[in-house]
Amino acid sequence: MIGARKRNTLLAGLAMATVFATAACGSSSAEGNGGDGGVADTIKIAQVQDQTGAVAYAGVGASEGAELAIEEINEQGFLGDGVKIELEKLDTAGEIERASSEMNKAMADKDVMAILGPTQSQQAATVSPLVGRTKVPTIFTQAGAEGVVTNDYTFRATPPMESYYEPVLDHLKAEGAKTISVLYNATFPTFALLGKDSVPQWAEDRGMEVVQSLPVEMTTQDFAGQAQQIASKKPDALVMLLIAPQSVTALGQLKDAGYDGQVVATSVQAAGNISEAGDDANGLVYPVPYSVAFTDESSVAFTKAFEKKFDKSANPYNADGYDAMWWIAKAIKASGDSSREGIQKGLVEVAGEGYDGAMGAVTFEGNDARVPGHLVRWMDGAETLVN
Amino acid sequence: MPVQDVLNAATLGSIYLLFTLGMALVWGTIGILNFAHGATFMFSAFIAHVVTKQVELPFLPVVAIAVVVGAVMSTLTQLLAFQPILKRSKNQHAAEMRILIGGIGVAAIPLALAQRYTRSSPFGFQSTYDAQVYEFLGLRITTTAVIIIVTGLTIGVALTIWLRRSRQGLALRAIGVDAETSAGMGVNRPALALGTMAVAGGLAGLAGALLTFQLGAIAPETGDILLIKAFAIVVLGGLGSMLGTVLGAYILAAAETFVVVMNWGTWVNAVSFGLIFLILLVRPQGLLGRKEVRRT
Amino acid sequence: MSDWYAMNVVLVQTTLTTLLLALSIQVPLRFGVFSFAGVGAFGIGGYTAAMAMVHGEWTTWPAVLLGMVVAGVCTFALGLVVQRLSGLYMGMATIAFTLIVSVLAVNGGDWTGGPMGLYGAIGEITTTHIVIAVLVVVAALAWTELGGLGRKVDTVREDPELANALGINVNGYRRLSFLVSGLIGGLAGAITTLLRSTITPAEVNFHLVILALTAIVVGGARSWVGALIGAIIFVWLPTFLSFVQEWEKVAYGFIVAAAAIYLPNGVLGVAKDLWHKVRTREERAQVAAALTKES
Repeated sequence: MIGARKRNTLLAGLAMATVFATAACGSSSAEGNGGDGGVADTIKIAQVQDQTGAVAYAGVGASEGAELAIEEINEQGFLGDGVKIELEKLDTAGEIERASSEMNKAMADKDVMAILGPTQSQQAATVSPLVGRTKVPTIFTQAGAEGVVTNDYTFRATPPMESYYEPVLDHLKAEGAKTISVLYNATFPTFALLGKDSVPQWAEDRGMEVVQSLPVEMTTQDFAGQAQQIASKKPDALVMLLIAPQSVTALGQLKDAGYDGQVVATSVQAAGNISEAGDDANGLVYPVPYSVAFTDESSVAFTKAFEKKFDKSANPYNADGYDAMWWIAKAIKASGDSSREGIQKGLVEVAGEGYDGAMGAVTFEGNDARVPGHLVRWMDGAETLVN
Repeated sequence: MPVQDVLNAATLGSIYLLFTLGMALVWGTIGILNFAHGATFMFSAFIAHVVTKQVELPFLPVVAIAVVVGAVMSTLTQLLAFQPILKRSKNQHAAEMRILIGGIGVAAIPLALAQRYTRSSPFGFQSTYDAQVYEFLGLRITTTAVIIIVTGLTIGVALTIWLRRSRQGLALRAIGVDAETSAGMGVNRPALALGTMAVAGGLAGLAGALLTFQLGAIAPETGDILLIKAFAIVVLGGLGSMLGTVLGAYILAAAETFVVVMNWGTWVNAVSFGLIFLILLVRPQGLLGRKEVRRT
Repeated sequence: MSDWYAMNVVLVQTTLTTLLLALSIQVPLRFGVFSFAGVGAFGIGGYTAAMAMVHGEWTTWPAVLLGMVVAGVCTFALGLVVQRLSGLYMGMATIAFTLIVSVLAVNGGDWTGGPMGLYGAIGEITTTHIVIAVLVVVAALAWTELGGLGRKVDTVREDPELANALGINVNGYRRLSFLVSGLIGGLAGAITTLLRSTITPAEVNFHLVILALTAIVVGGARSWVGALIGAIIFVWLPTFLSFVQEWEKVAYGFIVAAAAIYLPNGVLGVAKDLWHKVRTREERAQVAAALTKES
């Protein structure tokens, strides 16, 4: 027992030493380097997003888009002869803690000039204050909730869903819908907001009646009950706000229950996430910030370039990364300065003018992107533009 | 309308039951709480998905593939993880926690593989099978749902009877009550344990295939969601009682369906787990569980 | 040193809060109580602290204290209700408690921020603060591992009937373990939340239970040192596994499984065995020599 006491005293001593050590080390506040002008030869950008985890398709997709953009920027010599952009990928693995620690690593790395920030809203909201404190310009993609774009150094390249969802209700009105049901995942922040507040409000504004509102949870897997409730109510249209696997199941069960009204969904259905529903998904309409079906010049250019490089069709997540990276390049060109401060100034300047990207004509509300977005219809495995 | 809801609850309950059976079988007899059960379920369906992407298959071959994959996975888990842990432990009790953690470790591997391959997008089957919808007396049900209900109930009841009546069933239950004594009585524990795990794995695969047909597609994370529900169902029904598991599955499904009918969509989990909580307070050993004598 | 620290400060802080979370599960386990309510306490503590800051405009440490106390009280109450349950039945009941906390958070409207949770609860917490808090907790727990008290706790766990016969108030100890686990869990939750400035219902879930359990079992279940080792391993694993990139989760699975199979008493157990071997080297050599002389 003496041994145990000795050991514990030793450990206590070690602990005291740790306290003093951490106090002494303190936290060196990594200030952004002064904007002294000039574009470096190699510009390092960090991508701190999910490469693995439950929504890996967002981060992996953005990586591909960013890589295409970097290739174009470097090859064109857009920032000057021999100036290259380098991308460093850090995996946040779908966890908030990882987002925090990987962002911290990226921001503490003095060579990192800008960051592509986490795609999940909760991760983004967590690191947002940190970004403002350490003054590293960070562009978030996806991450459509509040609390993300909160200071001068936070930017968002993907418009939040509520900002381009309203046209869906216009479309339903134009199609003659009078009654609407809403089926939504109420534990997913973006869908909760849309399903509980926005959609009913927009419907009411257009003289359409919301006859049913069915919230479900993230862990809901079977929709037979809800499908039957909807089928018996027979609304003209159904607004379906569910995550990917839920959407597949719900569509199938809606068909089984005999519902044949118009179903509208969200951009989660893009990137082929709805393809497993097969024929049940035919006729599904949803708004997207980007689709291969877009006809804007800049979108078409991106679509072609992406297909050429990766031998497959592009999706909105690829477009995210592409536009975000090009925004950074344009920012550096605008301010003529590739330091952190320079990029921040440039981003604001470019946002003031807007740009044409994979998502079409992108404008900004402050540091937050806005796109016209378009409605697409899913039919036989492909998206086509509506109207 | 209420009859339709009963049908829905029966389908949902059978889904839960199919998934839980394998876990309950192993846990209630040889005392192994296999946390890799969810991953086995998911991965069996995943492999079947990969195969059907190359070759469109009818219903039975898809199910067969999943069953085989599931059985193989559980057997390997038993051989490579659980058996070594048991050998290295002084007794069953000390091994419990390690088996739990071992299962968690094992489960992470197929999950990561499936997530990598699918990028966490949902996956289903390319099959020539297409569910038909039957309408009778104003009620609707799909062929898949019928298959699930029939399969779930049949296997559930069959297992209950087999465990009570047959020699192997008796031996298994003996192991569950007292492992050392049963070994002394000549029960070949390692062999029986391996066989049981294989069957449980096959059941997980069966559940994987049937559920994927029913839901249209599952995601790599689907197994984990069901795992917690299975855990709850076994505890609710009472550890060691297969009939309890059957009852538990349907009771949970009924409670959840009720909440959906009342449109309290975001309270489903609260009601389900609240119900379990309450039942445990009234009957601390679950509905039909072995009554543990606790003198303190 | 300072550069390394700046890059990894979040990891250091996370190690400490993970340690607290693991301890909140380990304490009841050491008392023989299968309670996972520590994770629910984490959620209660985190939400209470966040609500105090965001709605009540409290300052950091009073908010943390409030979170801790509320969590402790709730968990203690839970303990009173479920004390008749044993083994995995109690485990299930405490997990149900945790999941219900999460549902309440989702449905809490503006109070809890609903599904989005709360953000903007920016606490003034430095690593030194956390270290001090952890030291206090660890000191208290270390005290329960030593000497007479340590033996009493072991007896309550291993042989409750004997403990009763010896006059130890077994039920009292068990109820106490709920209170302690609630306080520590609440502290962990409050600190984590105010450090991060956000909390969401999605975080109060089964995965935290798994994280805590694996940390305890792999590190060593008997002592706070084991919990610390486990916390360090799992928080720093991604950094060390960075060379395997996308195969990180697979490597994690292998490590956890291997630890469960080959390290019965966790890493701490292995360390203790080695220490014991080194210290008794001479003695064993003498005994071996003496034996060979005789034969």
